[in-house]
Amino acid sequence: MSNLNIDSIKERSYDAIVIGSGISGGWAAKEFTEKGLKTLVLERGKDVKHIVDYPTTNKYPYEFEHRGELTLAIKKDNPVVSKCYAFREDAMHFFVKDKEHPYVQEKPFDWIRGYQVGGKSLLWARQTQRWSDLDFEGPKRDGFAVDWPIRHKDLDSWYTYVEQFAGISGNKDGLVSLPDGDFLPAFPLNAVEDYFKNTMREKYEGRHVISARCAHLSQPKQVHFDQGRGKCQNRNLCQRGCPFGGYFSSNSSTLPWAQKTGNLTLKPFSVVESVIYDEKLGKASGVRVIDTNTKEVTEYYAKVIFVNAAAINTNLILLNSISSRFPNGLGNDSGTLGKYVAFHNYSARINAEYDGLKEFSTDGRNPAGGGYIPRFRNLLKQETNFKRGYAAGFQAYRSTERDTSGMGADLKAQLLSKNLGPWQVGSHMMGETIPKESNYVKLDTEKKDAWGIPLLRISVEYDDNDAKMKKDYLEQMTEMFTEAGFKNIKADDAGQAPGLDIHEMGGARMGHDPKTSVLNKWNQLHDCKNVFVTDGACMTSTSTQNPSLTYMALTARAVDYAVLSLKKGEL
Amino acid sequence: MNRRLAIKQVLIFAGGMALLPSCLREEGKVSIPLKNLDISATQEKLLAEIAELIIPKTDTSGAKDLNLHLFVLKMLDDCYEPVDQQQFLAGLKTFEGHEGKGLAQLVSDANTGKSGISEEVSKFYNIMKSRTIGGYLNSKYVMSNLLIWELVPGRYNGYFRVKSA
Repeated sequence: MSNLNIDSIKERSYDAIVIGSGISGGWAAKEFTEKGLKTLVLERGKDVKHIVDYPTTNKYPYEFEHRGELTLAIKKDNPVVSKCYAFREDAMHFFVKDKEHPYVQEKPFDWIRGYQVGGKSLLWARQTQRWSDLDFEGPKRDGFAVDWPIRHKDLDSWYTYVEQFAGISGNKDGLVSLPDGDFLPAFPLNAVEDYFKNTMREKYEGRHVISARCAHLSQPKQVHFDQGRGKCQNRNLCQRGCPFGGYFSSNSSTLPWAQKTGNLTLKPFSVVESVIYDEKLGKASGVRVIDTNTKEVTEYYAKVIFVNAAAINTNLILLNSISSRFPNGLGNDSGTLGKYVAFHNYSARINAEYDGLKEFSTDGRNPAGGGYIPRFRNLLKQETNFKRGYAAGFQAYRSTERDTSGMGADLKAQLLSKNLGPWQVGSHMMGETIPKESNYVKLDTEKKDAWGIPLLRISVEYDDNDAKMKKDYLEQMTEMFTEAGFKNIKADDAGQAPGLDIHEMGGARMGHDPKTSVLNKWNQLHDCKNVFVTDGACMTSTSTQNPSLTYMALTARAVDYAVLSLKKGEL
Repeated sequence: MNRRLAIKQVLIFAGGMALLPSCLREEGKVSIPLKNLDISATQEKLLAEIAELIIPKTDTSGAKDLNLHLFVLKMLDDCYEPVDQQQFLAGLKTFEGHEGKGLAQLVSDANTGKSGISEEVSKFYNIMKSRTIGGYLNSKYVMSNLLIWELVPGRYNGYFRVKSA
């Protein structure tokens, strides 16, 4: 081999490779680089630099051509992503457009993606709750999926670790269903949210309404200032990117932190085609990357590889990493890779009015969104005709009352009126779904994308358990709203397809047994020890909590383990 | 209102919509670029009159001052199905050739949903009115002077005292 080749290979070699720069990839980058490893982060989309690349962040509503609305052409070109609540004129540049990255829906599935540095961490709803053992023990207790190989005690110190750095606002509520964390002050509930909380406490055992816990800096500490972040300014324009760094994203937090170590190489426009398996060494040696602009193929090498491409794309990469040792996808001896995909059931909402507490309204904006009702169904034991349960959001607000039936000066006076209407209250369901073999993703055997990578086929649907759970949610919320004296209750069976929850999980699940799972308790492929998966793909079950905080904790823990293993020469 | 301020507001509003001066455009045609709609200068003027009847100038700016009819056209052009656009134009025909009190009566009839109003007129008026209102409430003028919208509130109070109705 010529020296030139040796040099070239050396130039393309790192200690660690992280595929993806979203919420979990950003954490892997931070942890590896802080521990002194030369780390390559590969991102398939464009670069988005904190503040610099938030083009709409300081715009007023009237500065948008259509005042925030989507044009008909955009809606027609993007039937899938247009369904997402945050895909509007101010943030649509951070979403994948349907035509750019097609996939095959064997059953309706709205796959919402953000291909850019920071991924969906720019766009997330920032809700952050820990899992309790009631969640981790779910599959074992209720007889589905496989047993989680970890419990809350395994993650406890890692949850604390990521909470302190990311900055999580919340109260120590002392609930068995939702372990407390290391919190910044909570964003308080408003008058009617508090009223509902108190009503629930009086009328029901074990039903709580708490301040939503969220990744916003309500009162930043030194570690947040050190990241260049400041106090949340209650703009609630988060999906545009925050110039204050008020909420946690890879862009505002982990990636600049990793950059400061001098150990980070970040390559945008780099889609990973596959992980390279070295048959002689019996482990992965690197990744094959396609430049999304030039389509040039380059191989990069590292001792350890973290796959954080977002749940479904992580499945795609592993399924597409074919070798004689792994003809069905890397680490897929069990045959479960791509299967047991699950999500959160967000398909029901309920709204009503409350005529009391009219001496109060709200002033400013609450970035936490309001209240959170932790799971209360089947919590300590099975008690309904469906498995598991749901958490729910709860919000109350008042808006000005305007009679727009008239015209002329009368109409104008109505439009400018500051008279407040009654309180509006609303709740949305966040249900646990049961991972099943029949809910899967797999590679299309013929169709390929613009870079020659097989298209993904997605076959995921609701089941009878989801339908029963939704019915119960609407019944229980109706009853609770009635108890609270709310009027004009309107249940809304949104009927949305899976995917729009943007909480797709699984496919490369963790488990004790290599015969029935892909990853071990350290998020390490059972069958290829130097490859780790710490994004949504690793999830054995979904619980009801928003998953991002758990991805962060799992990632920090797995990097720590990987680096220790490297030092011991075990990888 | 101070004329300079009025002009300034029109220009600011227009800036957001890439408004071209009418002198640069084809004679007799609408003064803003539209992709799908074929609107004449006369129709544009009529729409301005109708918008002004919906939100007139009082001691504060009205629809004409804020060019709300151009916002209606922009939204109609970009955000509606061709069938809706056609119905809008068909409905508009009913108002063509009218002005002053006659026009005011027709608009008032449409607003009250007087019996005998055609489906086209009803469709036209629904779009015209809702978009005029939307353009008004989302205008820089209203958001800066009348119902203040804050980019950076920097606060949240869940027990904000108000006069109970």
